[in-house]
Amino acid sequence: MRALIIVLLPFLALFLQTTFFRSFSIQGAVPDLLLILVIFYSVFNGSTKGAVYGVACGIWEDLYQGRIIGVNAICKGITAFILGRMQGEVFQENILVGVIGVLGGTIINVALLFMISFLAIPGFSLNRAILADVVYHGVYNVIISAPIYIWYLRSSRGGVLREGQSI
Amino acid sequence: MGLFTTSKKKGAWTLLLTALILLLVVKWGSSDSLGLGVVERWVRNSYAPLQKGVASVQQGLGQFGTRVLGLQDLKQLLQTEQALNQQLSLENMRLRESQAEVERLRGLLDYRNAQIGQFDLEAARIIGHAPNNWYRTMTVDKGADYGLTLNMPVITPDGLVGKLINVNRSTAQVLLITDREMAVGAIIQPTRENRGIVEGVGDGRLRMINIPYYSQAQDGDLAVTSGISQTYPPGITIGTIRDIQKEANGLVLSASVEPAVNLDRLEEVLIIKSFQVAEAPANQGV
Repeated sequence: MRALIIVLLPFLALFLQTTFFRSFSIQGAVPDLLLILVIFYSVFNGSTKGAVYGVACGIWEDLYQGRIIGVNAICKGITAFILGRMQGEVFQENILVGVIGVLGGTIINVALLFMISFLAIPGFSLNRAILADVVYHGVYNVIISAPIYIWYLRSSRGGVLREGQSI
Repeated sequence: MGLFTTSKKKGAWTLLLTALILLLVVKWGSSDSLGLGVVERWVRNSYAPLQKGVASVQQGLGQFGTRVLGLQDLKQLLQTEQALNQQLSLENMRLRESQAEVERLRGLLDYRNAQIGQFDLEAARIIGHAPNNWYRTMTVDKGADYGLTLNMPVITPDGLVGKLINVNRSTAQVLLITDREMAVGAIIQPTRENRGIVEGVGDGRLRMINIPYYSQAQDGDLAVTSGISQTYPPGITIGTIRDIQKEANGLVLSASVEPAVNLDRLEEVLIIKSFQVAEAPANQGV
């Protein structure tokens, strides 16, 4: 059951991102539910598993977008690997772990996307509009991370995501 | 013992396997003539029914709300008026371009009326958006089954929306004009300078480059498709020229362009399946 939920969650997250949350965008920005999911998975399962899950979710997103395959896989994989270091170092029951994790993860992910864009897209440059977009995106991620973290924590402790129901 | 165990050796193998899968996906993801690979097609297909369902539910909820408020007749009237308005706007857009053309050709002895391009249009509903703002794309509910293919222009009565970049059996992906990979040959309507290129900046805005330094273009002028690329019919409104600036080399100008279409509020679009370009008058010298 746990395995099935973990596989289905990215599918559901991308579906909600591309439909439901577009109706509730903040200045055109929508939350990156896939990234939030990857961050929480890393915080609870560590760097290696997190990186694999991050790469898998990133590939899924890349395939949906049909553009440069691998960009999101790399960014989400590295972000998950870094955030996964928090496992065992933080008190997971504290909701701030989830919120700060998402804030940090969003910053890392965006920084990696910028780096790849600078390298891969000729003439790419940052401007106020792009930065404003990133800020709205980050704020949205942080706001929505709290309820999702509460659900994830409860599910991991005694619900469908509880360890022991190994994949 | 599960697939995810904690030993470092297993971790390394898992990462290696992931890299291998990534490589295979990239290989299978190579696009075909409709812009999609096998895996991408499968992923997109898995979402199409759900997205169409959500779009239908949203439409159904809207209709229910209207009935509850007893405004069904008014809604029908509004829809009729909107359809008429769209038709007239399209006609007006073509007529505006035609008018400019007529004025330009009036002095020529062998002037003859150019035929206004005729569009074969397919209406489609937007059922999905890009999962993030790095790419400016939308998904529509029609695909190859309706005769859609790559690079078909997508418009609304207000102007250009983008073009099709991926076509699935039942859905298609629209690359919006605001995407940074988008570039459209453009004419500034009053001045007829036709070497301009309108490109997406990636943040929802447009920029027109390559405007000659001697251009008399002003804020508020319309930028329309030039038709030079043969992807887009000529005369489709792209946006309004704002903030013209001289480039550093002094040889050309550039300008911000405010998109004619509000891309954040789109629900339906029109896809141009084919179009006839007006024949250029003989010996016109322009």
